[in-house]
Amino acid sequence: MDIKRILPLGVLSVLLLVLAVLFFVGGAEKPPALAPVPVPDDAGEDSAEPPQTRTITLFFLSDEDNLLHPEEREIYTHELTVFEAKQAIEELVRGSSSGAVASIPPGTRLREMYIIQDGVAYVDFSRELKDNHGSGTAAETATVFAIVNTLTYNFESIKRVSILIGGNERETLNGHIDLTRPLLPRLDLIAK
Amino acid sequence: MSSDAGSIPAASKSSHTNERNVVKYIVRSLMVLFVLLCQLAPTAASRFQEEPFLKLSVEDFADYGRVTVTSNHPLRSSIEKNGIYLLVRIRADQPFRIRRGSFRSRFIESVGWTQGVDFYVLNIKVQMSDFTHASTNLTRPHRLVIDVLPEGADPRPKAGQEAAEGAATIPKKETGARTTERAAPRTETPAAIPTQSLAQGTRTIIIDPGHGGLEVGAEGQNGTLEKDITLSLSLKLKAIIERNLAYRVVLTRDRDVDVPLERRAAIANNEQAFLFVSIHANGFPGSKARGAETYFLNLNATDEEARRLAYMENNSTELDQVQGDAEDDIKMILWDMAQANFLKQSSEMAELIQSELNTLRDTRNRGVKQAPFKVLTGVACPAVLVEVAFISNPDEERKLLTDDFQAAVAQAIYTGLAKFIRQYARD
Repeated sequence: MDIKRILPLGVLSVLLLVLAVLFFVGGAEKPPALAPVPVPDDAGEDSAEPPQTRTITLFFLSDEDNLLHPEEREIYTHELTVFEAKQAIEELVRGSSSGAVASIPPGTRLREMYIIQDGVAYVDFSRELKDNHGSGTAAETATVFAIVNTLTYNFESIKRVSILIGGNERETLNGHIDLTRPLLPRLDLIAK
Repeated sequence: MSSDAGSIPAASKSSHTNERNVVKYIVRSLMVLFVLLCQLAPTAASRFQEEPFLKLSVEDFADYGRVTVTSNHPLRSSIEKNGIYLLVRIRADQPFRIRRGSFRSRFIESVGWTQGVDFYVLNIKVQMSDFTHASTNLTRPHRLVIDVLPEGADPRPKAGQEAAEGAATIPKKETGARTTERAAPRTETPAAIPTQSLAQGTRTIIIDPGHGGLEVGAEGQNGTLEKDITLSLSLKLKAIIERNLAYRVVLTRDRDVDVPLERRAAIANNEQAFLFVSIHANGFPGSKARGAETYFLNLNATDEEARRLAYMENNSTELDQVQGDAEDDIKMILWDMAQANFLKQSSEMAELIQSELNTLRDTRNRGVKQAPFKVLTGVACPAVLVEVAFISNPDEERKLLTDDFQAAVAQAIYTGLAKFIRQYARD
């Protein structure tokens, strides 16, 4: 036998053996990560039909009563809720068109959003959400529940909302409202 | 081989293809073998390297309850007593599967797990508030044994009694090798009474000055920081309480330092606090918002969670017989929300404090409110958070800086507290 023919065969066998061993040792008992599956950003394939829109309600603040004040806005409809929900948060980030106090501090960006099966929406903001926030319980409550209410009020499939900052879970925005568990809506904070 | 190499060029074309076929054949068989191995791997792997687990069982002996954590991995742990809870922290470099064994106990009300990044916490809720505990680590298999003993009975006769009973009952449950080891935790028992001396006599009120250190809190337009106002107010409140009531007062911070929110709750629970009052100054965009408001915890639990929490409180023994992960989740929620058991008292305390704050001159009544405050969730006693005024309002910012206003606010909070104590201590 030619060494040139034996050699690749040997190398191949060793490689297979190593792979097999790696499979046994390395692959054992690693539970899969629990990361939610990101939904693609684009609105899908181009279609000839004009885009449909729907009306949603955003919540902004007032320094008179410190409650959440509704303001309507149009968004594009999409078969995936998360795509519509992202537009809603982006509109919330953009601020009021009627001069109400912004619920999201300036400079904040929506980084990503996921909705997992049991109705929890994960909304990931850039760090300006906390860095540019004025703090104080009233301010923090208003910001947090403007986000939570905007999502739960407009999208039936969203039951609870978890706010992330820079991709990470945070204990609180600035020392008050607990962000470690998904939040339920607070309809009592909406101005009558 | 090298001599063979010389002869090969002379070989015919057909023997060449033959050889190639043989090589192909070997490669194919290796591939088939590999695929087979791949399919076998999961079963083989689980046979050779068993899934790491933590198994929990609770049983009673004559006059004490025993919690045993068994594992196929070495257990590195620490134990902390927190009121009627024992918190057992177990280091974990990898995720464990939580298994449940038997649960039969008169001494232990419930047990549950909480998972951290690289640790697990076992929460043991004890039936009685006066108890001591002793623990020991055993191997083969790896076990952590925690005994919970009611306090009060004279330890010496009890120990003798236990030795006699131990001879009769324990060999039935444990092997001979383990009976010799299990003497260890009992002998340590008399020394393991760290909390008793502190708890004796006076009860403790915790005052929590909001924020601190780098966490400045809200900021006034003239640069006043919430963290400074809260500390100054808290020190005044402490002085008033100590002057008027036979209570010990502990501050979660007494200077300008960062104290994590969970640490604040832990301080209260470690001190077996009777009451917890967190002091804050409010903030809102703009300068108009003004007034005082008092908060107690909003559970932020879904209906299902709330229902389970209520059920857990009322039927802990029944639930312990239910198997499965769902039950562990419930208990995790339960400990996370120690405050859940005190919401009624907390709301009463909030009402009493708020109505005192309303008597302050020029203070707008914003009422009693509920919100899911991180600092309150883990506190195992009546707990409120007081927002004394708006630092974001320049008028109130100015007031907050004055000694007079601070003294009046501290006095109002004290009066509310004292009223609550009279009511609560009677129950």
